[in-house]
Amino acid sequence: MIFITGPLYSGKRAYACQVLGCSMDALADRAVWDVQELARGCGDLEALADRLAEQDAVIATDIGGGVVPIDAGEREAREAAGRLSCLLARRADRVVRVFCGLPLALKGETP
Amino acid sequence: MFTLVVGGAASGKSEYAESLVLQDLPRYYIATMQPFDGECRARIAKHRRMRAEKQFVTIERYTGLSGLVLPERGDVLLECLGNLAANELYGPGGDQAYGAIVQGVEALLSQCRDLVAVSNEVCASGGGYGEETEAYRRLLAGVNRALADRADRVYEVVCGLPCCYKDRRRAV
Repeated sequence: MIFITGPLYSGKRAYACQVLGCSMDALADRAVWDVQELARGCGDLEALADRLAEQDAVIATDIGGGVVPIDAGEREAREAAGRLSCLLARRADRVVRVFCGLPLALKGETP
Repeated sequence: MFTLVVGGAASGKSEYAESLVLQDLPRYYIATMQPFDGECRARIAKHRRMRAEKQFVTIERYTGLSGLVLPERGDVLLECLGNLAANELYGPGGDQAYGAIVQGVEALLSQCRDLVAVSNEVCASGGGYGEETEAYRRLLAGVNRALADRADRVYEVVCGLPCCYKDRRRAV
């Protein structure tokens, strides 16, 4: 599994298509994205990470920057999203951060 | 050569970008920040003085980069795309902002030796800003992606240190 992260609108899905050699329409069969949203309210992040790791590519938008949210629920969701990313990175063969559409290898080689 | 330098607030991106434009003359500084108030004006005056010492000729241009004609062929520091995007988006013809910026940079490239463009990273936090601000983030992110694709070199500056994402002169 390749884990792709990066800021919002940085071109993560386009990069996944390039790596997997598929079109944007076919991406849903091979990859799952916005997994930071799945972390929200999830009781078992380890199990979620295990399940997601069966995909060819897992994509998370990094939402950990910026000011700590005032709302407790949002704080918790942001924490869970960050932890999920760490769990996914551990399970991944390769981790890539996409920035302005450009990949940077954080783990393994960029394809 | 076209270099894109991106970073967060006070990341040291300006200083690093400036260091890439200190070889040849003439050198131009295209300033996109509009003097809305006294704080802006003081900041602009200070930066103008600092740059004059480094032999930059400052050109203020808030929108419509395509219409800009450089006095001579030289090196250009364009700062910054975050301001330019806001000026284009919230000014008249805001729906044409993306094209105005990307084509404007292209027009600049045809007139200069080296171009160093400074941009902001504004998408590294969660949402909740409201639709108007979200439109701005989408615009700037799109501009950054297009320019990163076009650029010979792309750096993200973190704590004053450049992190290279692309360099056509060598494999990264």
